[in-house]
Amino acid sequence: METFELKVTDQQGNVAVLEIAGYINNEGGEVIAKEARKLIDAGRHTLLLDLRATRIINSIGISLLLEVLEHTLEVKGTLAFCSLTPSIAKTFQIMGLAQYTRIFPDRVTALTELLPSQ
Amino acid sequence: MAMIMVEPVRVRLVLPRTPRAELLATRAVEEAGHRIAFPRDTLAEVKLAVVEACLNAIEYGTGEVEVEVIAHADDAHPWMEVAVVDHGPGFDPSGVAKPVLSDKLRSTRKRGWGLELIRRLMDEVQITSEPGLTRVRMIRRRGGR
Repeated sequence: METFELKVTDQQGNVAVLEIAGYINNEGGEVIAKEARKLIDAGRHTLLLDLRATRIINSIGISLLLEVLEHTLEVKGTLAFCSLTPSIAKTFQIMGLAQYTRIFPDRVTALTELLPSQ
Repeated sequence: MAMIMVEPVRVRLVLPRTPRAELLATRAVEEAGHRIAFPRDTLAEVKLAVVEACLNAIEYGTGEVEVEVIAHADDAHPWMEVAVVDHGPGFDPSGVAKPVLSDKLRSTRKRGWGLELIRRLMDEVQITSEPGLTRVRMIRRRGGR
């Protein structure tokens, strides 16, 4: 469960979904930041991080997510999260992340909101 | 009515200075917490706080990082107590600035959340620090926070 894995599972329009599993520490955070940078450079300015399979995160990993947030803000994009465990949701709330990101209960709800209507 | 005293569950460990060593402490928290039927979501918050305390101890300390987890099985009010000890140069906890997200987003240094998370995730936090000995003692009660 703690082994880190990242998959870009969906790309539609300017939205990309990054499915993340395992411990988000310095190494996991670096992988996310690198992949996010690539996606942003390719024009995916709305990134949805699905944390359904992430149970634990540390402040170094969080600081790397802040870099991703900074990059999305630079391109006037959106950083969104979905499927947070209660403890990770509380961590984000303590940091005030909801002010700068969008947080959804699940991926379906997130994509309904983030994808432009057909 | 006779009172039944239940001995607390105690786990002590010394963390190796290896990547992800802090996860060993979270396993000890999980094991001790399960034994007193501590709520899972509350336990998850304790684990996040313990990760932060261990990371600080590993990063700023020298020598061994010791962790003690005590799970108190009081029927009505079970509680978890975790102490993380390092032997680094020490620090003044009152001198650690509270992080502000808007400032962090403008700064090249985005770290500095650990102590704030510990304080906000736990019910009580006591930090004693002097050169050679820093001890972070954290308490979380069921139903706290």
